[in-house]
Amino acid sequence: MQTKLVGEIAGNYSTVVLMFGFAIVAMAPALLISRMISPRKKSNPVKFLPMECGQVPSGEGRTHFMMQYYPYILMFVIFDVVAIFLYAWGSALLELPKSATLPMLGFLAIMFGAMSFALYQSGRRRIW
Amino acid sequence: MSVIAPDFKLSGFIKSLITDIVWALLIMSLIGIPAIMMILFFVPMPVIDGELLTPFLAFTYIADPSRTLPLVQAFMETDMFKIMAFPGFGFAALLAAGTIFVERKMLAKLQLRVGPFYCGKFEGILQLMGDGLKLISKEIIIPAKADKPIFWAAPVLFVASAAAFVALIPVAPGWVVADVDMGLLAVFAVIGFFPIVTILSAWSANSKFPFIGGIRALFQMVSFEIPLILSLLGVVMVTGTLNLSEIAASQSSFPWILFLPVGAIVFFITMLAELERIPFDLPEAESEIVAGWLTELSGMMYGLVQLGTYLKLYAFAALFTVLFLGGWNGPMIVPPLPMEIATHGLEMGPITVKIGGLESLFTQLITQEMLNGTLMFVLKTVGVIFFILLPRGVFPRIRVDMLLNLGWHKLIGLAFVNIFIALGLVYAGVLGPGGLQ
Repeated sequence: MQTKLVGEIAGNYSTVVLMFGFAIVAMAPALLISRMISPRKKSNPVKFLPMECGQVPSGEGRTHFMMQYYPYILMFVIFDVVAIFLYAWGSALLELPKSATLPMLGFLAIMFGAMSFALYQSGRRRIW
Repeated sequence: MSVIAPDFKLSGFIKSLITDIVWALLIMSLIGIPAIMMILFFVPMPVIDGELLTPFLAFTYIADPSRTLPLVQAFMETDMFKIMAFPGFGFAALLAAGTIFVERKMLAKLQLRVGPFYCGKFEGILQLMGDGLKLISKEIIIPAKADKPIFWAAPVLFVASAAAFVALIPVAPGWVVADVDMGLLAVFAVIGFFPIVTILSAWSANSKFPFIGGIRALFQMVSFEIPLILSLLGVVMVTGTLNLSEIAASQSSFPWILFLPVGAIVFFITMLAELERIPFDLPEAESEIVAGWLTELSGMMYGLVQLGTYLKLYAFAALFTVLFLGGWNGPMIVPPLPMEIATHGLEMGPITVKIGGLESLFTQLITQEMLNGTLMFVLKTVGVIFFILLPRGVFPRIRVDMLLNLGWHKLIGLAFVNIFIALGLVYAGVLGPGGLQ
């Protein structure tokens, strides 16, 4: 396996960034053209009010409210990283000796146990 | 009777025309051509017919038909062509546009309606173009006290994120915009952009319905990202690589869906959730929260978000094809290319027309394998898109708590089952080194 420089590996991703930039360059004119050819009338200030099904909006638009799913977000922060760690093992599985799987199974067991505990806790909504 | 231009004189019209043409030529020759030359000076030029292409030769080759094809070929080999046209933006946007039309027509048939019918002579085939013109000519209304820069940027960023996702999909052998070793991890990284763009758009609108929809989208996309990541681990374990092209090439004999059906099912369900499609369209639930996070987007901003959504749909369907259905692999159904035209020329009676550069085009770029691979890939992807569209006419929307329960309890468990199936297949010697090829 030949070694690659870090910059070489990172340089491979430049086309992804180029594609990202191309989409911005190609799509922003659509908004500009739309802005140029579409009518712009400031006839009534009510027109620019936030949509609230025909009612005059009351209160703040960006309110803080209880979503009740906050524990899931906390769990995501942990388990997303943990799931990516599994990829380091999974992508090298064919080259690893079989004994290397045993600690990985232990890791999976810990992860599974922790996740079931978190799910059990998230079911008790009163603590949030 | 009204006269359009009462002071119209033909001589004056011709004079103005000549003046315009002279000015255009003057500006073109004084500013345009030097500018093109300057830009071409910094672009690495290819070697054609044994000589390095200079900006001057590039202009003369366009007039010389025997050297036009090598120029086209050299252009098709650049990254820019791949990004703009074939495996990149143009190809994906074409398939996305087709998807929108097929979805509207198919949904109508499922619900015993007719669907788009009048725009265009045949079955409303021009409906999409009409919708585009309508959207681009509509006024963009920005709600008062909205965070304007973010609100304007969010639809464009949404399309750009979808385009970055498309960049990682291999369409045919060698035909991929970004052939990276960590392709699958890059896909996960790009998928992570969508909730951020969504919540940015929702927050900046300063309105309640978009905000609720944005938070729902955030929870949904974030919750289903873990089963998504875990369900694809099985494929990585049996192939031993994260490069999407290598994963597709490894399925030349059989697709992985035969061995890892559980992972395929979990990935398909999480795909529906990431795409916000029915039965998981809670962020845009039109009967509950108007249009969710799209409520305040009007005119072309909404059009851009729609384009981004369908680009994302294509990219997810293509990812499913690459990972589970074998990508470009399949029976060779494209006939061999007419090589005798390239080598001996096209014979029309007494005249023989030789087309220069066709031979290298046929042997290097547009080969039989590439055409067949693209055809197979498109057929499979269209099939997957059909199955993504189908639930919209079949299922009702599910509740938020059911969604989270499904994602966190059932799908993650099934994804672990899939991991152990893959582990068993590798250690039993069925797949991997020494196993089935």
